[in-house]
Amino acid sequence: MEDLEDRINESQKMGMQIIKESDDDRLMTLSVGPQHPGSGHFRFVVKLDGDYIVHCDPDPGYVHRGEEKMTEYRNFIQNIPHLERPVIHDSTNITYSYSLAVEELTGIEVPRRGQFIRAIASELNRQVYTLYWLAIYGIFLGHSTMFMWPTGDRELFIDLLEALTGARVTHAFNIPGGVRNDVPNGFKDRCLRQISYYEKRLKEYEDIFYNNPLVRQRTEGVGILTKEDAIRLGVTGSVLRASGVPYDIRKAEPYDVYNEIDFKVQYMKTADSFARAYVPFLDMRESCHILRQLLDKMPEAGEVRAKLQANPRGPPGEAYRRVESGRGSLGYYIISDGTPKPYRVKISVGSFRNMLALPHLLVGAKMGDMPVIYWALNYWPVEADR
Amino acid sequence: MATVPEEFRFGNFLASIIWIILIVIVVLTLVILPLTFVILFYVPLPPVNGEVLTPYLFLTSVVDPTRTLPIVKYLIHQTPFKVVVFPGFVFAAIIAAATIFVERKFLAKMQLRVGPLYAGVWGVSEGILQLAADGLKVISKEILIPSGADKPIFWAAPIAFVATAAAVVALIPVAPGWVVSNTNVGLIAVFAILGFFPLIALLFSWASNSKYPFIGGLRALHQMIAFEIPFILSALSVVILAGSLNLTQIATSQHPFWFILFLPISAFVFFISSLAELERVPFDLPEAESEIVAGWLTETSGMIYGLIQLGSYLKVYALSALFVILFLGGWSGPLIFPPQLGPADAIPLEKVLTLQGLYNPVTVNAIFWFLVKTIGIIMLMLLPRGISPRIRIDILLHTGWYKLIVLAFVNMFVALALIYAGVLGPGGSLSLH
Amino acid sequence: MSSEADQNNNRNNNCMIISNEFNKNTIDTATTFSPPNSRQHLAVVSNSSSSSRPPSPPPARTVGPPGSSTALRTKEPEPPVFEKGIAGEISANFGQMVQIIFIKPLRIKVAVEPSNIIKVATFLRDNLGFDHAESVAGTDYPKEDQIEVIYHLGSYSREDLAGQVLSIATRTNRDDARLPTLINIYKSVEYHERETFEMLGVYFEGHPRNERFLLPEDWADIPPLRKEFRIKGR
Repeated sequence: MEDLEDRINESQKMGMQIIKESDDDRLMTLSVGPQHPGSGHFRFVVKLDGDYIVHCDPDPGYVHRGEEKMTEYRNFIQNIPHLERPVIHDSTNITYSYSLAVEELTGIEVPRRGQFIRAIASELNRQVYTLYWLAIYGIFLGHSTMFMWPTGDRELFIDLLEALTGARVTHAFNIPGGVRNDVPNGFKDRCLRQISYYEKRLKEYEDIFYNNPLVRQRTEGVGILTKEDAIRLGVTGSVLRASGVPYDIRKAEPYDVYNEIDFKVQYMKTADSFARAYVPFLDMRESCHILRQLLDKMPEAGEVRAKLQANPRGPPGEAYRRVESGRGSLGYYIISDGTPKPYRVKISVGSFRNMLALPHLLVGAKMGDMPVIYWALNYWPVEADR
Repeated sequence: MATVPEEFRFGNFLASIIWIILIVIVVLTLVILPLTFVILFYVPLPPVNGEVLTPYLFLTSVVDPTRTLPIVKYLIHQTPFKVVVFPGFVFAAIIAAATIFVERKFLAKMQLRVGPLYAGVWGVSEGILQLAADGLKVISKEILIPSGADKPIFWAAPIAFVATAAAVVALIPVAPGWVVSNTNVGLIAVFAILGFFPLIALLFSWASNSKYPFIGGLRALHQMIAFEIPFILSALSVVILAGSLNLTQIATSQHPFWFILFLPISAFVFFISSLAELERVPFDLPEAESEIVAGWLTETSGMIYGLIQLGSYLKVYALSALFVILFLGGWSGPLIFPPQLGPADAIPLEKVLTLQGLYNPVTVNAIFWFLVKTIGIIMLMLLPRGISPRIRIDILLHTGWYKLIVLAFVNMFVALALIYAGVLGPGGSLSLH
Repeated sequence: MSSEADQNNNRNNNCMIISNEFNKNTIDTATTFSPPNSRQHLAVVSNSSSSSRPPSPPPARTVGPPGSSTALRTKEPEPPVFEKGIAGEISANFGQMVQIIFIKPLRIKVAVEPSNIIKVATFLRDNLGFDHAESVAGTDYPKEDQIEVIYHLGSYSREDLAGQVLSIATRTNRDDARLPTLINIYKSVEYHERETFEMLGVYFEGHPRNERFLLPEDWADIPPLRKEFRIKGR
């Protein structure tokens, strides 16, 4: 027991060193830490001078589970359930990218209907994630109605996904070679009805939140990330598109059937927190158009999954595939050595890349802007830690 | 729970009922009867209708129940009753509790939810006992005091909070003649007492010995002080028109027209300032959850939290009632209650039931209209919680110190102009006194 | 295992040999290597519209035993012209200092030695338009006693490079893993290099904070992504 006590004391000492108080009396060191309603499973240490933040130091790692190491112990199919855990509510996209990379390595061909179903599930999941993000953004600004409405509407999409995959959040639906099962009967009509209802709701979100003068006052002009900075810091996803760079993986490098779908990349030029909050909303609208086209063009019948060997394996090689997820480009770099288990899997997530913008934007901002800037960066702590 | 419940045995059930009856009888004979005799022998009893009220006179009410009514009427007009029950603490606490419940249901309907649903009688009064359940929970929780906290202030601040809120309630007249303390400087007293709240918030946050409460306390201080001035200035316009600081007189002087007709901007400024004083959304920065955990309430737990919530909602009632008195004419409204509830020559039991001798239509009417208006203003105060996010401290201070003061002055000049022109005020063409 | 002399030889020689069992088939710089069955997902977004084609429903076929990829290479109709151009520019500028590992549609891999990587990266950023680094991955090859660190570069500002990912790989040996940092060229590698430091033990010279990032404060074990690290309990 003394050994345990010593270890605890040692780690507490080391933990304290991270938030060492400044020698200068004027600054106050705050640990916006994991035990904070406004931070998620993440900590960043800020030093305050009055109401202004003068220094910020992100400290992730609270949910680090060693995903990349774990993939080396399981074969390609067994990796799917644990690889979707970093983002449980956007699980289709994080396994989509993995499936694409594995298919490139092993040479599996995905049947056309399977590609469409994969894309449909990906778009539905994008809606689910963005609604969740919007709900949390609302509550971070103190707007409790904007927390309840998206959470409620999200339930309808989760019901759709539950009908499709069998699970509410962690679907394990994408596998290398296609999807696990076909759509149920009546799914297309249900989906179309849901999208029509949802588009009316989007109008109400605009009225109560995006056109709310207080929200505008709090978010406009706050945390400006210029286009040059955005490119230099390598941010991705809605953060990048809010800074004036119209970059979307679905357009830049269309995967599966996205080169048959006609949609526009939504971006804004103002580069402040309001733009970063508004671009995902525009993305949601565009996603409804994409869903309609996908449901329209899906072939009526066909296989949804390629026939696989018992332990699919490919020749030695490497693959790097990317997918546009709710937070940005989600890339998988897989090195295979010819065995059924991957040799190395590197997950390049949007949250980890966007984290670099956090100290850049928070320094010089007021304490009251902290949730506005932090959550507008579309940061999901569990995904950044993997 | 994971335990298997005991099998129901009727014998045990009967035994437990008999135990309860036994305990009640024991308590009655050993405690309540001696207490009654002590009170009857030593406490001086009030004279009723010229006779001293002795227990024998009281027992004649068995024959003629109408004799209890003058006693009740006498007791109601005593000060302890006014302080404790009506229009004092219990009345305000009931309205506060109803406010909490209505707020939760109201917000829930706005947010496509149902609110409290299970505590209560299903189908009839869903969720109405939620408040009682929450109160029991809050009482039973452990109170954690952070290490290094300043214990005397930590314990005293919530009690001071509730006491100050109750003191504000004590100054509010509900009906003509029904006010706990009828001073000639009632309005100034209200503001003086309200000025105590920032101090309590700051002391409590300092005593918590923690960084987030510290920031929250500073924000509370800045916010409340910034909005006190527009608060007072907007009330000052009312004083100019009414000519008195006595709250009852202000309410009665709004005879032909309510002051909100002449002072709409002042009413608006008063409303916004009272939202800021009450720390309600959009001004709930001192408890901004996503930035500073729970602000100066971070270290409250258990009954301390319960007391502070009670004080908060007492303040809601007090400031809404103040708004009604200052701008909406207090208790004025058409007389909709009949002069008598029952015929004068009825049997005594019916006379008791229809409260003859106790029932005063003017008072009941005043209370009714006062409650209607106050509840309306409270609902208006609850509304921003569903539609607004939180404001930021620099926008708040900018609004409080620049914009609202200017607006309050504008309306004050309008009021002064009206008096100078002889339209309102004593001897004016529109007033009746 | 390469001996000391061999390693020195490898380093002094400007042409670094990357041969291992993984990339045996790809040492050729001139030929293009396209993986089989890549037709349906890689429509090249480039100004030359000739290389884009609509996807045709491919026949579903299973994969053969490993090592037979050379047999499937013959089915590819068009080499990616655009990527070949980029690779050609790089080799024209640096000659023997870089080695093109493969050129696939939208993916180019280049191998550089640690001493030259800053020059190459600066050239890629200023002249070719790759303005940010998407991610940095470190891989442990205990059989060759080396650690490979690969930087994936992308471009946001140039339309024609929208989907391109250019990977630069460097190698260092496992015992004393040191690499120069690219943070002064690409600021976006800051956290990725820090993570590679703590996960693999590669020290980046010039990086302001070579510290623990994701691992807990009291981590007292070897860097976890090394192959000799075993997950406890298995």
